Amino acid sequence: MPCISDEGDERIMVTVSNQEDIEIDRWQVLRSIGYGTHHKLPARIVSLIDEYVENAHQLIEPSYSYIIRDIEGVRRSCVYVEGSIVFESHVIARLLEQCEKIAVFLVTIGNRLEEMVLWLAEDGLVLQSAVLDAIGSVTAEKLAESVEDRMREEACAQGLCTSRRFSPGYCDWPIRQQKMVFRAMNGASIGVRLTKECLMLPRKSVSGIIGIGPFDMEDYNPCKTCNKCDCLGRRHDTSP
Amino acid sequence: MAEDIIKLIKENVVLGRVNRDDEGIDEGMLGQPGVSELTEKALALGVSPVDIINNGLTAGMEIVGQKFEAKEYFIPDMLASAEAVGVAMEILNPHLAKSGIKDKGKIVVATVKGDIHDIGKNIVSILLRGAGYMVTDIGNNVDPQAIVDAVRDEKPQFLGLSALLTSTMVHMADTMQALRENGLRDKVKVIIGGAPVSEEFAKSIGADGYGADGFQAVRIVESLASAEDK
Repeated sequence: MPCISDEGDERIMVTVSNQEDIEIDRWQVLRSIGYGTHHKLPARIVSLIDEYVENAHQLIEPSYSYIIRDIEGVRRSCVYVEGSIVFESHVIARLLEQCEKIAVFLVTIGNRLEEMVLWLAEDGLVLQSAVLDAIGSVTAEKLAESVEDRMREEACAQGLCTSRRFSPGYCDWPIRQQKMVFRAMNGASIGVRLTKECLMLPRKSVSGIIGIGPFDMEDYNPCKTCNKCDCLGRRHDTSP
Repeated sequence: MAEDIIKLIKENVVLGRVNRDDEGIDEGMLGQPGVSELTEKALALGVSPVDIINNGLTAGMEIVGQKFEAKEYFIPDMLASAEAVGVAMEILNPHLAKSGIKDKGKIVVATVKGDIHDIGKNIVSILLRGAGYMVTDIGNNVDPQAIVDAVRDEKPQFLGLSALLTSTMVHMADTMQALRENGLRDKVKVIIGGAPVSEEFAKSIGADGYGADGFQAVRIVESLASAEDK
């Protein structure tokens, strides 16, 4: 069960948990590597993915934390959040200009899977290493998705709506703003740390924000008007 | 007979079958010899290692490259084939050394400072090894000075630099500068790769080449190597 962290500012409640069951879907892993439903799937790759998905459960240590903060104001490309936190991005500012609150979250699947990925690569098993790495990425995204659902349910219970999730390093939101995300987490960093270049360690971690407001925001998709068509994070559909 | 076995090696490289326990891409191949058994058999039959490499392994990888470009093959398929070639090269290396045949050249590869992504670099490394190059992988998040030291110590003909982020690709330029400051720039050909970099960026930092994917990286190294030989 999620618990409330007693770290940092006592006024602000942080939800922290390391109990989350994640189902890893073979098809999502295959899609993340590039295979479409119309491709003939190689027997070897499919058995390898099945074998590694099975073993990955022992390597995944999912944890998440999130915190809800009040938005103090939005001016131009800056969002001012309680706790002296300023998010700088035109895309994020447009998303949050009519929101009342913001949920800041952090998820990780821990270090063990990553250690195995490196060990396999060092041992020359690059295919196995790449497959396990893809399983790790899919799992971290899945965990972020499940935390997003949890936050949506909580908001919904209070008659509020949530936006899609956004992370530093995508759109026009600079990766250096990870520092602000971590500051907003009020100390509940669940073992994730930032490198000097603001990358997260363990690597299979996702951080970001979700807007909370009284109206439906799921249609807000900046990808629709963005011309960076080769973006790895491009959201093609209009679903959340 | 020699031609038949080389053809089988080529086919099994395309199928990505390391040995007889490998299913490969098509089911029903289980139990039939893979690249390692076929390579051993070819050597026993007196087929020259150079023939095995050129007409079996390299020819097979060329087909894999075409299938990859046609989006018929994906990264795992390509890695399975490259792995099969890597195993065959391990079998062939002692024979090549005995015949006085050298590898095609030495390459040092690294993911630059600040960047901890190494899957792309690992893919390029395995493809280069499969193409007959000796690859020294010095890891990820490698400081320009550590790259300079590796170039000075290893004396490679090529240096491959990788970065996945716009915030870390700038360290490729720092590395180029460090090579210049240490008098090593003209001693090594530098190729770069990774999601945010481009041909233009390679030119702007004074690199010798840019590879959009693993196969392109190998092709660029091959073309720089043949230009150097002339």
